[in-house]
Amino acid sequence: MDFVLQQILNALAFGSEYALLALGLAIVFSIMGLVNFAHGEIITIGAYTMYIMIVMGLGSPLLVIPLAVLAAVLGALAFERVAFRPVRYAPTSTGMLTAFGVSILVQNAFLLFISARPRAVSVLGGLNVTVWVGPLRLQLLQILELGVSLVVTLGLILFLTRSTLGLAMRAAARDFAMVRLVGIRANRVIATAFGISGLLAGIAAVFIVARRGSIEPDMGFMPVLKAFVACVIGGFGSLPGAAVGGLLLGFIEVGILVLLPQQWGGLTDAIVFALIALILVTRPQGLMGRNVELGDKER
Amino acid sequence: MTSTNQSRRRPFLRRAVLGGLMTALPMLLVCIAIIATGEQWMVRLAYAGVVAVVVVVGLQIQMGNSGGVSFSHTVFVAIGAYAVAILSVPVQMKKLIIPNAPFGLADLSLSPAAAVLVALLIVAVLAVITGLVIVRVSGIAADILTLCLQIIAHSVFMYWTSLFRGSQAFFGIPQFMTLPAALAVAMAVIIGARIFRDSPWGVQLRASSENLLAARCFAVNVTRLRLLAWILSALACSIGGMIFAFYIGTINAQSFYFPYVFLTVAMLILGGMNSVSGAVVGVLIISIGIELIRNLENGPVLFGIELPTLYGLSGLALGAVIILGMVLRPAGIMGTREFDDILFPRRPETE
Repeated sequence: MDFVLQQILNALAFGSEYALLALGLAIVFSIMGLVNFAHGEIITIGAYTMYIMIVMGLGSPLLVIPLAVLAAVLGALAFERVAFRPVRYAPTSTGMLTAFGVSILVQNAFLLFISARPRAVSVLGGLNVTVWVGPLRLQLLQILELGVSLVVTLGLILFLTRSTLGLAMRAAARDFAMVRLVGIRANRVIATAFGISGLLAGIAAVFIVARRGSIEPDMGFMPVLKAFVACVIGGFGSLPGAAVGGLLLGFIEVGILVLLPQQWGGLTDAIVFALIALILVTRPQGLMGRNVELGDKER
Repeated sequence: MTSTNQSRRRPFLRRAVLGGLMTALPMLLVCIAIIATGEQWMVRLAYAGVVAVVVVVGLQIQMGNSGGVSFSHTVFVAIGAYAVAILSVPVQMKKLIIPNAPFGLADLSLSPAAAVLVALLIVAVLAVITGLVIVRVSGIAADILTLCLQIIAHSVFMYWTSLFRGSQAFFGIPQFMTLPAALAVAMAVIIGARIFRDSPWGVQLRASSENLLAARCFAVNVTRLRLLAWILSALACSIGGMIFAFYIGTINAQSFYFPYVFLTVAMLILGGMNSVSGAVVGVLIISIGIELIRNLENGPVLFGIELPTLYGLSGLALGAVIILGMVLRPAGIMGTREFDDILFPRRPETE
């Protein structure tokens, strides 16, 4: 019973990390139709900010964490201003390749100016302790991850439902032209979307670095690939879908890791992605996506 | 099809073949210049470029006609390379590298020609199976489905060590290909891609990727055409893998994974995914550019000053070129045009 509870918490922790990243991808996609493959580099920027601060001798977690998140937000805003604004009205494939370009550029910049090898970042190692809750052995990091994700998601929901800008963003996801007609600036809506995605990725970056204990230039790739998949399972562009898809992916992954016989361990990825393919073929619009009529909305 | 259609079929074929030759011309010129220098290391680089042309043109058949992005084309490159490798490696060598191969493959060794034919058959069968799944969905879900396919295939390559040697290199493949032979193969693939693009099927498929509903209203069988493009693309990509294996002699599944996927996709989109000429232009620009910058990376001596080694510079430049290319020309360098469209514009009524 303890084992099952522990695995469920495990799945929830992984799932909430994917959900944070997937929400960031979905919020940008829902508004401007951009598949932001450079999302992983926002994580990398946050992570390298931590490393640079420690090298500079400012290694207190209370200082490192907020600045890493801030760097991620600024990074996301800079991506939008420099690279994505000029291709805003271009076809999806153009946006996607621009994102690849940003991703390759940022990865190689870290490779060139810092190192191609992983570097240790141990300042958050204190989070990797075990705590006992009654008979249960739990990782502090996992509890924090789950708690923070919950708080952030609630904050996001409040922002999107209660503030004018949040309402404008939800409206923009439906009909951008209409939002602009009522006098809301397109640039502000899109920049906010990128800012939020940067904030979520920055928070995820803190947990990713705490778990790995090291950083490297391509560390953002796998998490974002998973987040991307989570988005698609949930229905691309749907925010509740992204959250649900992230959690579901966490459960699928942990479930397969636990249930799969040891000698098949190498096939975990294959089975996870085969399951995802199955979901996509049976429900191409995702679990919570709107079923768009094959009419004027179909590309 | 009626007899009037029969008579109209010739012009597109002639234009496609002649235009295809023109499309291949820049690649030919660069390679002939390199062969003329006689530098062995440059010939080797040019060969890698010609393989990339075959793979990217193969990718263009899928992306340029059906629309959407494919992340799984290098799966077929890998399958092509591994299939000819497993079929054509001499039996003595197999005892060393894959002694426990299933299906009695350890005691089988075919001539390269037979290996290529069997490999093409294997690729076609796998392409039909995967294609039947993938053409069912469109839009972003289809893109992700190809991503899933890439990851599943890579896991299988890594896991099935008795056949693919996992993360270890597969060596001992007969090395008989030369740069001129590869150029001939690449030209054939380019012309094939042009014929498909300009054929009624290609035109219908391209129309369906612009407006699915309108194409269906004109009774275009979109699913069947997408399947056809998928299979042709897979075959072309696998040919790229085969000529790669028969030249290098050693292959590794890792080298067909995401970095290669992104590089080839970037080449195609930068050149312009809607034209075969765009595929060739993208390969030429990125291959030559990366090679030039790679020299800078190793810290050359310029004007008597020894520059420091700068690993990552070529990637940095690649990223910058992609962003600039997309900002300045969102539809790629060639857009929807082929070289022959620029020199000899089509009459409006034929487009």
